[in-house]
Amino acid sequence: MWRYALRRALTVVPVLLGVSVLVFSFIHLIPGDPAVTMLGERATPEKVAEVRHLLGLDRPILEQYVLYVGKVLRGDLGISIVRGDPVLTDLLRRFPATVELATSAIFLAICLGIPIGIGSAVWRNSLVDSLSRVFALTGVSMPIFWLGLMLAWFFGVQLRWLPTGFRLDTGTAFEPWTNFIILDAALQGNWPVVRDALRHLVLPAAALATIPLAVIARMTRASMLEVLSQDYIRTAEAKGLPQGAVILRHALGNALLPVMTVVGLQVGHLLAGAILTETIFSWPGIGLWVYESIESRDYAIVQGASLFIAVIFVTVNLVTDLLYAAADPRIKYD
Amino acid sequence: MRFVEIALVAAALLPWPASPALAQTFVFGAQGEPVQLDPAIITDGISSRITRQIFDGLVKYKGATTEIEPALAEKWDVSADGKVWTFHLGKNVKFHDGHPLDAAAVVWNFERWWKSNHPQHENQVKAGQTFEYWEAQFGGFDDKSMVSKVEATDSHTIRITLKAPQAPFLANLAMFVFDIASPKAVEKWGTEFGKHPVGTGAFKFVEWKPNQEVILEANPDSWGVKPKVKRIVVRNIKDNSQRLAALKAGEIHGMEGLNPEDVQVVRSDPNLQLLLRPTNTTGYIAFSYKVKELQDKRVRQAFAQAINKKAIVDALYGGTGLVATQLQPPALWGYNKELKDFEYSPDKARDLLKQAGFTQGLSEITWEDGKKEPLVFWYMSRSRPYFPNPKEIAEAMAADLAKAGIKAQLQTAEWAVYLDKRKNGQLPLYMLGWTGDNGDPDNFLCYFFCSPGAAREGFYSNRSLADLLLRAQTLTNQADRAKLYRQAEQMLHDDAGRLFVAHNRPPLAFSKKVRGYVANPTGSEYFDTVEVR
Repeated sequence: MWRYALRRALTVVPVLLGVSVLVFSFIHLIPGDPAVTMLGERATPEKVAEVRHLLGLDRPILEQYVLYVGKVLRGDLGISIVRGDPVLTDLLRRFPATVELATSAIFLAICLGIPIGIGSAVWRNSLVDSLSRVFALTGVSMPIFWLGLMLAWFFGVQLRWLPTGFRLDTGTAFEPWTNFIILDAALQGNWPVVRDALRHLVLPAAALATIPLAVIARMTRASMLEVLSQDYIRTAEAKGLPQGAVILRHALGNALLPVMTVVGLQVGHLLAGAILTETIFSWPGIGLWVYESIESRDYAIVQGASLFIAVIFVTVNLVTDLLYAAADPRIKYD
Repeated sequence: MRFVEIALVAAALLPWPASPALAQTFVFGAQGEPVQLDPAIITDGISSRITRQIFDGLVKYKGATTEIEPALAEKWDVSADGKVWTFHLGKNVKFHDGHPLDAAAVVWNFERWWKSNHPQHENQVKAGQTFEYWEAQFGGFDDKSMVSKVEATDSHTIRITLKAPQAPFLANLAMFVFDIASPKAVEKWGTEFGKHPVGTGAFKFVEWKPNQEVILEANPDSWGVKPKVKRIVVRNIKDNSQRLAALKAGEIHGMEGLNPEDVQVVRSDPNLQLLLRPTNTTGYIAFSYKVKELQDKRVRQAFAQAINKKAIVDALYGGTGLVATQLQPPALWGYNKELKDFEYSPDKARDLLKQAGFTQGLSEITWEDGKKEPLVFWYMSRSRPYFPNPKEIAEAMAADLAKAGIKAQLQTAEWAVYLDKRKNGQLPLYMLGWTGDNGDPDNFLCYFFCSPGAAREGFYSNRSLADLLLRAQTLTNQADRAKLYRQAEQMLHDDAGRLFVAHNRPPLAFSKKVRGYVANPTGSEYFDTVEVR
């Protein structure tokens, strides 16, 4: 097992190297001079030269790459071009907001997606199945941007039940410790803030959860159907076990194995979806920050955040693979 | 039991009544995050909207105009040759940190902006920041600058000596970048001052929550207008539609950055009000004078008569646009009211083309080196206030041109490439525009037309126009200058040197509870007049 884990972990190295090359070269691949893009229509040639020097764009490309990797390995993701702050510090400050949103979304997706998938498989071709399939298809094809706006419009503007954005109401006095606001507020016993933070979390989490929810529901259904047609299930039914016990005790465990992989892959979609969701709901996490940085052409931030997101994605998938291997005895470790 | 629990949680999530403190708070929805809050460094509107509340300059723009009125300086005199300016500061004005605002503090600020060896200038440059607007408005740093001396003649009097008279001097000083910062606070925070701003303004800085909001509170010792609200919160809401949703939901009181199609939504909402910022922006079409066909004035005039500017403004500006007849927007005092624009007439345009020898219309151009190519009309890939929907506007203009026999292919490029090509004079026909910095006509006209033959301006060379504009720069009497700027606009028009399409009045939306918001053309207004009822 450990050898497998180590070998699997080593495969991550070339992936990350590839990512670093991609992330590094993108500043050179986009059309036009990045310095001109940043400075806009009034840029003077002197100013352009100055910014090029600041970005190190006047050095040979290989040298730039080696310097870049060296810095990244030392934990230096550079300095924001627009604001002059260290990218890593800003990134770590914003990361908890994104984690809070993404975990809520994936939690919501799992809690709803798996029961929907099971129901759909057990009552195959029934009304429940049709409805859940329509729901899944809609969920997958609905743009988050549009859905987010509609949710905010309906629940925020029309019904005024929930806020249209942010993590807390205007003027809420609260000093977070770790920036995981709900956790911090709960630890501090500040229940009004917990409640306020939860209210702000509902709409963005729901918007972000739709695609993973639909994917998980579909995967669970397909996987469940396959398991339900197996001989051992028929044996269990023939023994006279109640249907609930057959499904939950015998079928579900096996059916959930492929769902696990899908959940791991959904983390990537969640991080991508967070860029849109956070922008719509003014959620101060990495997504909104990346969006703003793309707009202001702050390449240092875009590079740093892309690399960071890639590392998260690769790590989560590595962990999923290892868990999968641990959960499924049929997988051999050699 | 479980149902009861769920119901309780759901009920807990439903809204409680808004806290009573909110009524004394003005919450403004901004389009993004401020870059930082040191006015000397920033160049963007989002940051300056906030610094304007914290800082004051020697002079300021009056209300919704670009006229100059006293601020920290109660009065001023200028020498007969226009080179020596003396400012008399008001007494008993204090920075938010308690230090007095006196002549020494003002001189300190000037030296910080101007002298590259000033410790608080040097450290900014090392941190990758520059005093960009000082460089642009006052000719550069140290000896390069047109400022030759800044001195305190007594505790509350400053004398500034220029190398040559600079007509827009006061207008420059009214810009947010030349607001006066507390020297003690700048020395304390160094390059971090932009996160801990201290000025003399009507509001004090309280807190900046990154990516969320900036909070200010009323300054009880304010020397000028006493603020009418206790707190200001500037919230960062990136998406235009979502910002409007927050306004409609009552989460914010006012906002900027309305989509053109949402202007009508605000107009028809009984709880909202629309405010149009006086225009300070002009969109134009420029020609390359290295293209032989476009060197003929009749051809350029044909373009001018072919484009139906009114239809474009009516259809594509959401009711906030104005047809432009010249480069300066109407709010500027150099605006030429007498100027009569070209009449829209595809027939006359076709006749003009015929007179110029293009009986079959125009679809191909010849560069000066003899290279021939199809006529390409370049449009911007990015929306700007002067062209909010550049692609649609370009399509409408191309359709108008086609009616007059001018067949132009539309093309765009990524923004940086577009600006690069324009800078190098590679675009035969293109759209772009200008947003004014300081409300002075010089800021509009001279940038484009004081250096004849510049590649950046499509090699347009009009020596007499440039001379006129340079002469206007040396005068200090506004009436004399206005006359020259009106003349300049007429010269530009008579030559059909460039086609001015539209001005835009950027819309702002407010809750009906808000009173007293005065939008300034330069985009940096004071919130001390704002009330929330």
